[in-house]
Amino acid sequence: MLSTIAVAVLPILVTMLALGAGAKLTTAGSDATPGGLGRLGPAVLVPDRFHKQAMIVCGLAELGLGVGLLTIDHPAARWLPAAFFTVATYVLWDLRRRRPDVGCGCFGDVSATPVGRRSMARAALLATMAATVATAEVTGADLLTGLSWRTAAWLGGGIALLLALSPEIEESVARLRYRAPCEQRTLPPERALARLRSSTAWRAHAPMLESEEPADMWRELCWRFFVFPAREGADAVFAVYLSGRRPAVRVAVVSQDGRPLTSLPESMPVSAGH
Amino acid sequence: MPYRTVDRRRMLAAAALGRELEPPKLTPGDGVTLTALSGRLLDISPHLIIIEDDAGVERRLVIAPWATAWRGTGMPPADLPLGARVVIRAVRSGAVAERIWADATRITGTIREVGGKRDLTVEVDGGPHRRTRTVVIPYRYSGRIRVRHPQLEPGYLFDAIGLLDHGTPLAHIPATSQPPYRASAVPPPPPAYRGMQSKISGTAVWADLDEPGVAYPMLETADTGCGDAGVSCTGLPYLALGSMLYVRNVCDGRSCALPVVACGCVAGRFCDRCLECGTSPRGRIVELAPTTYVELGGDLTKGCFNARVGLG
Repeated sequence: MLSTIAVAVLPILVTMLALGAGAKLTTAGSDATPGGLGRLGPAVLVPDRFHKQAMIVCGLAELGLGVGLLTIDHPAARWLPAAFFTVATYVLWDLRRRRPDVGCGCFGDVSATPVGRRSMARAALLATMAATVATAEVTGADLLTGLSWRTAAWLGGGIALLLALSPEIEESVARLRYRAPCEQRTLPPERALARLRSSTAWRAHAPMLESEEPADMWRELCWRFFVFPAREGADAVFAVYLSGRRPAVRVAVVSQDGRPLTSLPESMPVSAGH
Repeated sequence: MPYRTVDRRRMLAAAALGRELEPPKLTPGDGVTLTALSGRLLDISPHLIIIEDDAGVERRLVIAPWATAWRGTGMPPADLPLGARVVIRAVRSGAVAERIWADATRITGTIREVGGKRDLTVEVDGGPHRRTRTVVIPYRYSGRIRVRHPQLEPGYLFDAIGLLDHGTPLAHIPATSQPPYRASAVPPPPPAYRGMQSKISGTAVWADLDEPGVAYPMLETADTGCGDAGVSCTGLPYLALGSMLYVRNVCDGRSCALPVVACGCVAGRFCDRCLECGTSPRGRIVELAPTTYVELGGDLTKGCFNARVGLG
């Protein structure tokens, strides 16, 4: 029974360690301060200049523990993860007491919500899982031989329990579901220019343009404007919407004195609203 | 990318999108903007101040009995030295001066070098579009500056209000609490889940801008030639030079529509809050020219006001 459970939880432990290590190293590698102004994880308990190093060391340790658990058949390799998660549980409890505003940082930036009971319960559960693996003396080789329906059931149960205890799930779902609005995204001008050149408005006005290259170009919210010199000193201004597969393209030809030679009846305010 | 004038951009965009060229009319709810004048002090007496404004026109204003002046410290207006560069907040259609700031300057940027033992000399990089300035922190004011700027080291941000004394900026008042991160490690903006808001709240500060208007952080590098543009710790939308912004002083209830005239790449690196009236959301949205800042009810010695910016 114990060995069945141990075989089921071993892949969970290794995956959690690998995910934690990957997320921490990615967060530490990014240019910004980990966790922004809120700061992240137990790294806040060490002096400022060691924050990044603390996160890297923690990530590498997790990676080493995961690899050891899977490949090394020695009691030390099995008990170290149990000790690690036990210490992690204590550290999270201590972090919550000393810095209640700080996220656990278990999965880097994604774990920015302040440490709660779920994060601590998850660390405790992982410590129990690691202790089970150590007691049953299971290694990576047993994974292939110990597969059964019962193991799969324990595996599913373990995963479900961990997901229920992970506050990061809500954050990840929100990040996947929504993306930054078009007004805030960096969008290269070349793409808008290509869209403009394949539009009907461009084909209709191309003969009157004196140059194929825009004389001026700027971006305002979700619109990119291109100005081309046209005949008789006029300017042809194209506005390309930056979102959607078939973006709207508006055009106006404006004379030198600012009189629109063609214009649109409807109003479309893009700035200076109340 | 060359462009003829910013005004022409606004007109071309208005023609393409069929919108009104004029910004929306202000309503009584927008409050009345104050009158601000800036210029060189020609003569001053306890009751009358004569200045040459930026257009070279001589202006005479009555000094209100309750008027105060600032030149490094509070003083009676009559004590201001002739030739000082002044910014005046005026009432009664600009005929009565009630607050005068003389030789006020603001030094905002990234610390490049710190030297000196008693009087500190700090070299501050104001971004690619502004020059590097060397500011002196007199020993007398170094305590209060260091309390709010604990990391007076290269790489960290600096923001102080001071006095321009014979061309040398002297830091007198810390304009904010120094952000704890380095200028190169600005925290990313919070993820925008619910689409773009038409109004953004944050902090408005003043800066030594040359023309009336605002400096805005989220501009494209190709547009401004400012390599550090496009950084902000608030989720700001992209705009261009010439775009109009509706800026409201939440503390004072005054507002006006202003054009973007410069790149606010340094402002985008500050994730501080303004505490003028309540606590503002994090992040500087706009930098205003001193006269614009005063017209909206700001006090140059305080450095910020809680602002709301309308985008449409």
